[in-house]
Amino acid sequence: MGDPVPTVKFLGLTFNIANDISILLTCIIVFLFVFLLSRHLALKPKGGQNVLEWLIEFTNGIVKGSIKGNDASHFGLYAFTLFLFIFVANQLGLFLHIQVGQYTYVKSPTADPIVTLTLSFMTVALAHAAGVQKKGLKGYLKDYTSPFLVFLPINIFEQFTDFLTLGLRLFGNIFAGEMLLSKVATLATGGGSWFSYVYSFPIEFLWQGFSVFIGSVQAFVFVTLTSVYISQKVSPEE
Amino acid sequence: MLSHLIIGASGLYLGDMLFIAISFIILMALIAKVAWNPVTKMMGDRADKIANDIDSAKKSRQEATDLADQRREALSHSRSEASDIVAEAKQSGEKQRTTIVADAQNEATQYKQNARKDIEQERQDALKNVQSDVADISVQIASKIIKKQLDPEGQQALINSYIEGLGKHES
Repeated sequence: MGDPVPTVKFLGLTFNIANDISILLTCIIVFLFVFLLSRHLALKPKGGQNVLEWLIEFTNGIVKGSIKGNDASHFGLYAFTLFLFIFVANQLGLFLHIQVGQYTYVKSPTADPIVTLTLSFMTVALAHAAGVQKKGLKGYLKDYTSPFLVFLPINIFEQFTDFLTLGLRLFGNIFAGEMLLSKVATLATGGGSWFSYVYSFPIEFLWQGFSVFIGSVQAFVFVTLTSVYISQKVSPEE
Repeated sequence: MLSHLIIGASGLYLGDMLFIAISFIILMALIAKVAWNPVTKMMGDRADKIANDIDSAKKSRQEATDLADQRREALSHSRSEASDIVAEAKQSGEKQRTTIVADAQNEATQYKQNARKDIEQERQDALKNVQSDVADISVQIASKIIKKQLDPEGQQALINSYIEGLGKHES
């Protein structure tokens, strides 16, 4: 990390090719996964449909855990897609690291803050939009002065901290995981003898397993917090 | 990495942000079309079907109980009807028996009376015949007595012939 990144300029916007390829790959994997599981749907489910329905029930459960009532059904698809996307993105770098020359083209896209902050920005934007749609602009703005007018600066500040913590938490976890993996890999190749491979293999192996666990937990946490933020915006004030 | 953040905020990676957002939205749309909508619809259908099945099972059980009650009632009804029929049949049989016996008795007395009447008639007829016969015979005897002069021998002969004639007549 901290390596130079391949960039390209297009329409005055700068693109990080490595990020974009990784994101595209993540999207393709998620889509194929869902696509292949959703073939041959039947009223009496079997095989892949069971897995898919279990996943949908799982993410719906997260959403329903914080968003009360009828509103939960509107965010099911977003939570489902978000969970699968972050999950696959977290694991991608653990198995795939394609390096060409000095650039790493395929890694975990969530190990880059710009990606996680974009995801977090989407969540926050969705939460605010849902809040305006649910309560109207007046009700939405009124929430900032609750419980008293004094809380106005704190409430405004909270919107930014929510946005930053949500994105940076995911980034920190995945980035640290990848960093340590690459350090262990350097340990293996930099030892100078075959012996360094022997002792670094179990370390790498263990850390990879732990990273899979962390990646899953972070995907879960991200979706949970997403539904919490949305519920804060759409739920009526007590 | 902090430089990433600062540069990102200054717009270097705006392209990335757009790319992520757009690809995520496209992914979401594709998932909605390919999996989410059909699967959730299927799950809803299944929930409906299960609810319907439970409802209809409850309904058919209710129907079955109703039907069983109805059958039971009908059975007890038909049982009492059957005993009614049997009692009625017994009664009518009894009635018929008494009428038949009464008729038979009547007929028998009728026959007896008829028979008695016939016997009386015949007796009367026989008596009438005997009377006329006696009259005839008396006339004949008288005529025979008159015709013949009687001596003891002749008298004896006459009496014998008369008795003979009587026996012949009677036989």
